[in-house]
Amino acid sequence: MLEHLGVSTVLPPGQTCCGQLAYKTGDVASARTLALRYLDIFAAPGPVVCPSGSCVKMIHTYPSLFTPGSPEHTRAVELSARTFEFCQFVVDELGQVDLGAKYAARVCYHGSCQVDRALGITVAPRALLSAVQGLELVEAERPERCCGFGGVFSLQFTAVSEALVEDKIREILDTGATLVAAAEPSCLMNIGGALARMGRAMPAVHVAQVLAAGLGLGSLS
Amino acid sequence: MRKMTRDFRANAEEACQDAPLRGILDHATRYFQGKRAAALSAFPGRDDHFARARAARLNALSRLPQLLEELEKNATAAGVHVHWASNGAEASSIVCDIARENGVRVVVKGKSMITEEIELNTALQQAGAEVWETDLGEFIVQLAGESPSHIIAPAIHKSRAQVADLFREKLGLVAEGKSDDIPELTRLARVALREKFLAADMGVTGVNMAVAETGSVILVENEGNIRMSTTCPPVHVAVMSIEKVVATLEDAADVLRALPRSATGQRMSSYVSVFTGPRKQGESDGARQMHLVILDNGRSKVLADPVLAEALLCFRCGACLNSCPVYQTIGGHAYGWIYSGPIGALLGSLLLPPEETRDTPYGCTLCGACAKTCPLGIDHPKMLLALRQRSAADKGNIFGTMHSFLARHPLAYRASVAVAGAVDPQLNLLPRLPGFAGAARFAQSRRLPELKKPFSARLRARQKIRADQGFHAEKENEK
Repeated sequence: MLEHLGVSTVLPPGQTCCGQLAYKTGDVASARTLALRYLDIFAAPGPVVCPSGSCVKMIHTYPSLFTPGSPEHTRAVELSARTFEFCQFVVDELGQVDLGAKYAARVCYHGSCQVDRALGITVAPRALLSAVQGLELVEAERPERCCGFGGVFSLQFTAVSEALVEDKIREILDTGATLVAAAEPSCLMNIGGALARMGRAMPAVHVAQVLAAGLGLGSLS
Repeated sequence: MRKMTRDFRANAEEACQDAPLRGILDHATRYFQGKRAAALSAFPGRDDHFARARAARLNALSRLPQLLEELEKNATAAGVHVHWASNGAEASSIVCDIARENGVRVVVKGKSMITEEIELNTALQQAGAEVWETDLGEFIVQLAGESPSHIIAPAIHKSRAQVADLFREKLGLVAEGKSDDIPELTRLARVALREKFLAADMGVTGVNMAVAETGSVILVENEGNIRMSTTCPPVHVAVMSIEKVVATLEDAADVLRALPRSATGQRMSSYVSVFTGPRKQGESDGARQMHLVILDNGRSKVLADPVLAEALLCFRCGACLNSCPVYQTIGGHAYGWIYSGPIGALLGSLLLPPEETRDTPYGCTLCGACAKTCPLGIDHPKMLLALRQRSAADKGNIFGTMHSFLARHPLAYRASVAVAGAVDPQLNLLPRLPGFAGAARFAQSRRLPELKKPFSARLRARQKIRADQGFHAEKENEK
């Protein structure tokens, strides 16, 4: 998608994890170590674009891991300022909304907690989807409600997590959508996995995948 | 049987399988959220008002010792007997002594979380008094032998039909006409409670706010039972935790603009009572003797905590509970303590013994709905994360530790994903690995995504194809 939009891209090698899992389980020491790796990996100037709202939020949290005034803190602030969620980058930085995509589907957009609430990115993904010709954008009854994943929560409170994703799927199915889209891979894994388990054929895909499919750059299967 | 906080995980698993409970919680929390949303949409300048309420609370916390002394001085001048208690046992024994000195046999109570926290009813009963909760919800849970499951709606977990059955069984009162009609159930409770008010020797209430500059105690309610509990019996005992004080009546007004709107979606509760001392010469109502018990019970330690002190801003509106997907699914009893939901997880972790609350900060998806809802700007997820950091002593759990190790070693990371992808593409074996037992249910209940070739490898392959075709994948450094 980025190449299609005329952006020259580099995928810096050595990427693993931004440290979010460690941070959210309370392991700040490991989160700090992983943050330092990322500060090195993305040391070269230029915007960093990431297709995951929660990872972007983690990068935005990096400054809090270091002592204000320290060189690491300065670098974390600098990296944080040029790290963007994919939809936000396309709409706010590239200034593009209608990409000329065509895709006939009724799409339920799940505004993930980390995208909608934590990052406050509510407009960009919806605008990108709405601009797709033939695409009807709908939202679940309680679009702001968590899908129940919560990282380590889903492993420690599995039954509760399961109950929440069932609620979410019921509300998504109630919209009559043929497709569920989000800008957060962890929600997509949670919702998509539960849909598959329930024997539902509905795809759960990233907004970028819908756009790519609508531009003939890829398929959703 | 009373649920224990240390069993939070098991309690939560059990509660979310309880379909009738989930139905009741779903209905009730949506109802509260709807009322609140309507009230807030008709509240001009609400963000400014919420900011003023927060400022009033912050102002109080920033000079709490001084304000408490001022409160003591002014309340004493107004004729109130002020008592200090460092923990629940001390507070209970103070109240029991007051009861004994006054020959109290029957006690009526206004709804109060603080007296639930210190289990005052048990202490008073052991001292020989008959104790009656007079808030309808509290009365219901008392009859059922349960504890409250919501900060402002103690019996939120009960259906109308269950309440009707309870009244028939415990009070011998049968509703006329439709048995689960709410006005009729309320009438039955009124019939039962009226005689308790008239027989009571002492009324016990909590405190929504105490005003330092006037020595007043403010109580907010909808049923009139607090008015009855504080005017029928000759003795009124109000119990407050230290953070309930505010500096001035003006600050109290700022808080009062936010509290009922956020709690029940009302512009103002049906009754707001301001008590400044007992009945005075020539006055026709009010208790003849008034006591104020000021209780710490762990708060001063929290107040000294630079990260977590903001939990003490809370004025118990309960809105975070209604907004919390976990609370909506498991209810309050699963938390094993009277405070539940996001604020309950915080208060429990801060005020209960650490060994009881090891799982408490983890029962949260960090979705942030609570922080967005809180009128006082409490950031519950941020504080729960801080608690996770402390409970993990910066070490995390086995998942985190293994994952972090791999993430520091990109080759090992890629190799582990590649091996998993080759051996077990659908991650069926994951739950059998040591330390991953918790993943068993997860893998059973969700189908995990099949591990595909990593993006980096796919991109390299793509760029190679394009290069072979004569294109040059643009790899120059970013501008």
